Amino acid sequence: MRRAALLFAYSLKRVRTLAITTGLLLAALQLVLIFVAGSIQTSGGFNQLSALLPPFARQLLGPSVATFMSFSGVVCLGYFELAVMGALIALAVTLATTPASEVEIGFMDLILARPLARHWIITRTIALTTVVSAFMLALMMAGTWIGLRLFAPEGVEWPSATLINSLAVNLGLLTLCWGGVAMAIGAASRRRSVAGGAAGLLAFATFLLDYVARLWQPAEKIAWLSPFRYYNPFDLITGNALPLKNLVVLGGIALAGFAAAYVLFARRDISH
Amino acid sequence: MAPISIRGLTKRYGNVLAVNNLSIDAIQGEILGFLGLNGAGKTTTIRILLDLLRPSSGNAIILGHDCQKDGLQARLNIGYLPGEMGIYSDLTGREVLDLLARLNAQMIDKERRRELQERLEFPESDLRRRLREYSTGMKRKLGLIQAFQSDPQLLILDEPTEGLDPLMQESFYKLLVDVKQRGRTVFMSSHVLSEVERVCDRIALVRKGELVLLSSMEELRKLAARQVRIFFSEDVPVAAGLPQGSEIVETGPHSWNLKVEGPLGPLLRALETLPVQDMEIEEAKLEDVILKYYRDGKQ
Repeated sequence: MRRAALLFAYSLKRVRTLAITTGLLLAALQLVLIFVAGSIQTSGGFNQLSALLPPFARQLLGPSVATFMSFSGVVCLGYFELAVMGALIALAVTLATTPASEVEIGFMDLILARPLARHWIITRTIALTTVVSAFMLALMMAGTWIGLRLFAPEGVEWPSATLINSLAVNLGLLTLCWGGVAMAIGAASRRRSVAGGAAGLLAFATFLLDYVARLWQPAEKIAWLSPFRYYNPFDLITGNALPLKNLVVLGGIALAGFAAAYVLFARRDISH
Repeated sequence: MAPISIRGLTKRYGNVLAVNNLSIDAIQGEILGFLGLNGAGKTTTIRILLDLLRPSSGNAIILGHDCQKDGLQARLNIGYLPGEMGIYSDLTGREVLDLLARLNAQMIDKERRRELQERLEFPESDLRRRLREYSTGMKRKLGLIQAFQSDPQLLILDEPTEGLDPLMQESFYKLLVDVKQRGRTVFMSSHVLSEVERVCDRIALVRKGELVLLSSMEELRKLAARQVRIFFSEDVPVAAGLPQGSEIVETGPHSWNLKVEGPLGPLLRALETLPVQDMEIEEAKLEDVILKYYRDGKQ
């Protein structure tokens, strides 16, 4: 346990620059979004923006369009903007494929030649992915809070803490879900690029599936296969509660990925 | 209890047989050279000992513990030098040594590390540098320090002198002698025959995954043929009845050139009646024996 904690601390130290930089950028994005939302709100531009929205986008967003085209909606955008989701998932995939990277460069040989059980490698990676993802979301939420304090116009309605928490939790689980998938692939791979690339491609394909299914009815039949189906921020910003199903499915995929990683890594040959 | 006991070890990769029914015992306090050409199965065997690879059949026991079933206990007292030091290049040498030391079961004696640094000429200033600035030789020296620093009962070294300059090789050989004198066992793979001849007590030679020779250096020397040149005071025709193990390589004016395997006594007796003026005996070359096994496999 002591050795596993040591390895975790070492891994955390190695990724600290990446994590802090990404976290600060995501937090800064929240500030920028709130600043922009405040400016639009002050100039009364939300009504005009709503009118400018093309019909297909209205269809895609449904009744939530009105809520989205508001100060509160733009503030929440920081939790489902494509670049934000992409950055979080990419970071999770990178961290989750740490074992593959260690096998690839040969560092795993030196670690496992010591009295350290293989399952600690996966436990360390799960802890690393979870802690760093939580840190990202914490920084984003801090960014939101600071941004609202600094840039929210007087009298404007803020998004509720419950809404922000729900978005963060749902987004966090989506991130962990992809971390779990990448970890399972990475636990059986000799190359981080292969594991990360496969997980990334899968994420992109399932994102497209979810997106297409929203526009094209036949794709709806298989859209349940996409993890992105279980992160529906528009439902949340229209006031619906965070569905338990989303949490169970995303958490379940993450746990299944972690379990698969334990089994695959325990059975594999370590060779680079 | 043998520090290493390998029994019927086999490792297959699909149709490829990397290690085939290998059985070796290392003796406490010896330096056992593990020889073979590239792809002979040396590294595969070492990786099975460390439970990095899982054998298809057979088993390996280190210091009384099964490498697979009881791997953690087996690895409690091992120092390992991999063939390539795979370390993140953004770390400093000190960070590497500290991390690997803390992952060990035993406490690291700082004095021991300092001594190793001195012997391998690895100053503190080098330890403060990042690995990306290290040469191949420096990485190798760092690898040796991390393997030796916990003063383990068993050292498993994969091609330890690869990348070391001759002076450092010399320091390394002295280090080996020291650890051996302290009763530690060394299992080292190598394909540098002169090195093996110099430092090893015994050798295990593998060819295409199979053990073709397990012998002490003394026994091996007996197997090696000596070059014997005999000078006569007059031309002597080649005798028909040369003893077994003696073979004429060439004849010259007043001389014979022979290859003699085993003891020289029978040849000397055969020469008793001949007008021998002088004799030159060239020391047996182990390389010849080993190369023969490399080429032909089991004799």
